[in-house]
Amino acid sequence: MTEPNKSPRKILDQIFYPQSIAVVGATRVPGTVPYDIVLNILNTDFQGIVYPVSPKEKFIAGVKAFRYVLDIPDPVDLAVIVFPSSVAHMALEQCGQKGIKSVVIISAGFKEVGEEGLQRERRIKEIADKYGIALIGPNCLGVINTDPAVKLNASFARKMPEEGSIGFLSQSGALCTAVLDYARAKHIGFSKFVSFGNKADINEIDLLNYLRDDPKTKVILVYLEEISDGRALMETARNIIRTSGKPVLAIKSGRTAEGASAAASHTGSLAGSDEVVEAAFRQAGILRSENIEHMFNEAIALAYQPLPRGNRVAIITNAGGPGVLTTDATVREGLKLAAFSEETTELFKKSLPKTANIKNPVDVIGDARADRYRIAISQAIHDPGVDGVFVILTPQSMTDIDSIAREVCRVSETKEKPLYASFMGEADVAAGIDILQRNKIPHYILPESMAKAFAAAYRFASYKEERVSEHRETGRLDAAGARALLDRAVQAGRKVLTEFDAVKVLELYGLPVLRNGLAASREEAGRIADRIGYPVVMKIMSDEIIHKFDVQGVVLNVQSRKGAMDAYDQMLSNAARLRPDAHIDGVLVTPMLSGGEELILGIKRDPSFGPVILFGLGGIFVELYRDVTFCVAPVDPAKAGDMVRGIKAAGILTGARGRPLRDTRAVEACIVSLSRLAVDCPQISELDINPLIVLNEKEGCFVADAKIMLQTG
Amino acid sequence: MERQEIMTRVKKVVSQVLKTNGEIRDDANFIFDLGADSVQSVMLVAAFEEEFGIDMEEDKALHVQTVSDAADFIAGYLKD
Repeated sequence: MTEPNKSPRKILDQIFYPQSIAVVGATRVPGTVPYDIVLNILNTDFQGIVYPVSPKEKFIAGVKAFRYVLDIPDPVDLAVIVFPSSVAHMALEQCGQKGIKSVVIISAGFKEVGEEGLQRERRIKEIADKYGIALIGPNCLGVINTDPAVKLNASFARKMPEEGSIGFLSQSGALCTAVLDYARAKHIGFSKFVSFGNKADINEIDLLNYLRDDPKTKVILVYLEEISDGRALMETARNIIRTSGKPVLAIKSGRTAEGASAAASHTGSLAGSDEVVEAAFRQAGILRSENIEHMFNEAIALAYQPLPRGNRVAIITNAGGPGVLTTDATVREGLKLAAFSEETTELFKKSLPKTANIKNPVDVIGDARADRYRIAISQAIHDPGVDGVFVILTPQSMTDIDSIAREVCRVSETKEKPLYASFMGEADVAAGIDILQRNKIPHYILPESMAKAFAAAYRFASYKEERVSEHRETGRLDAAGARALLDRAVQAGRKVLTEFDAVKVLELYGLPVLRNGLAASREEAGRIADRIGYPVVMKIMSDEIIHKFDVQGVVLNVQSRKGAMDAYDQMLSNAARLRPDAHIDGVLVTPMLSGGEELILGIKRDPSFGPVILFGLGGIFVELYRDVTFCVAPVDPAKAGDMVRGIKAAGILTGARGRPLRDTRAVEACIVSLSRLAVDCPQISELDINPLIVLNEKEGCFVADAKIMLQTG
Repeated sequence: MERQEIMTRVKKVVSQVLKTNGEIRDDANFIFDLGADSVQSVMLVAAFEEEFGIDMEEDKALHVQTVSDAADFIAGYLKD
């Protein structure tokens, strides 16, 4: 962003709270963006002055127009440029000359249309920088601020949204109009609503930081199509959660796996861009939504109700079937059905009919009216073993839907614990739902959506409580030695390290490696094998041979000195026959481990998020099940633990069905060390440790094979 | 045809099509200074063709931004 001497908050305040606005390029043609923007500003009772600027018109919508922005006699806080892209730079130049410091360029026709547009965008960025202008857009819908102090709709959205506590940021302008329409039908209000388009200057990070400090915003939603600086996004989200406690929900579109197919390692092919986004958002506490409906389901829960202090839910229903459905959904989302205290159970017994089910889910029976719902909800919500209440209603002939809705609102007024509702149906329950929505009770047609939203709120509450765990030193560390080795390889133009060198780098970073030796002759192979002890594994070493099996360059289970010497000769002869062009460094000799579980660890460098660490079951499981977890480096010990426990087959390591307990702490230490290596050494483009063999508890783990690909170019 | 004459006739066409009042500067931008919209830009191209009896390449003609550039652009056709 521009103007380093002015705080970003101050600059953005001028965009959201202008006292005067110039609409530059306005026309008098109804149904066009330049006209509608003037009209929208006027129609929403903007609390400032509007100056249409038009080369031809004397007035627009009854307001005097100026030929140039420079003709306006008074200072202007914000200019909204709606001229076509071919002349937007001329309008911006005049805004700069006028001393306007905040500009929104609505016009399309910039980098999104190709090279010519890209040049135009560079030009406007240069002008913005020259005059210290904070610029939103180009190619955007505009900005909306519902704060009664300003009432600003500087956009071409059809209607001003209701005032509310949700801040919405979107890279897509068209999506914004759909979101506004969706939200209006559900009485969902917004604090600020911004379409930032091509983000030539102000980007999502600037806007997220602004909403962090905005007292009108309680929940932040963001729609992104591309993430230019993933690490900055993560840090910003963490900072928002840590300092303001506001949740950040995001949709990241473009869940394709392009790029992954070209990867040279297992890690590269497993860590597609979407998997990395998923992992990064989870680490940063960002709640990722699959779609708009999902996002708003969670947003209203977070905006309207207190955060749950636990995951124990009470369900109050007037019908058995929906109660069961809700129970299923609740359990599926990892929540628990609350067990009521004796006191609550006694109260239910006294106050509900004998036919009522007083255990969770509480069935107040089909003929329940508002009074019975009130009693059940109030008693459940005050039970210390309950963290939140779901109210289910089906419209039966005697159900006084509207009264029940009002009772739900009344009970919720204390805001002691979260209360969500699902009035199932459509036509008969519509008025009741309207009452709930107007009174900020999160309402869901489907109990499944309700359970999902509660689970998201609980997840966020848990994340807020999380503390970054302390770093544990893991073994001997010679970072300088590792970096020197990698530098030498890069300078020599190598694209891949031999296993011998790769293992050396890992060893220098404190990862446990097997004793090994590189034999340059038949005799030396025998000597090294004797020293290591039998059985041993022998592998051909050449940075020109990535797949050693293809040249018959691996011999397992070598049992004797003579066997080692013969294997040496055989491997060199195979390599000479199958890859006569390859330079051979020698033959690596390592012990052959038996037992243990094969795991995979890896590094991939993502263009947005930087180094990413992968963990999973190794060997054939990687290919078959892709049962892996990711974390953006650096990874602290707690996150390393989450990674290990996060795979579906974690039970294989933690003693499921009588299997031995494996040394997961040693694995976690490896993950932490590997993440330090990933952060410290940009020379590494991809890395696979496959397998890392983990032994039984307290017996450690060992790198059994490793591959390091180097950055080239 | 002299450039001055071309310029005079270009300004006459611009004034008629865009219904401008007052003097038109040589460096006036059709959109930014004279308020031409996309339909009027196409109309301008057609009016220039009629005025000068030429057939212009529309894509290139629509990229011309100022009165002065239009005179130069048309002069190129008249030379041919």
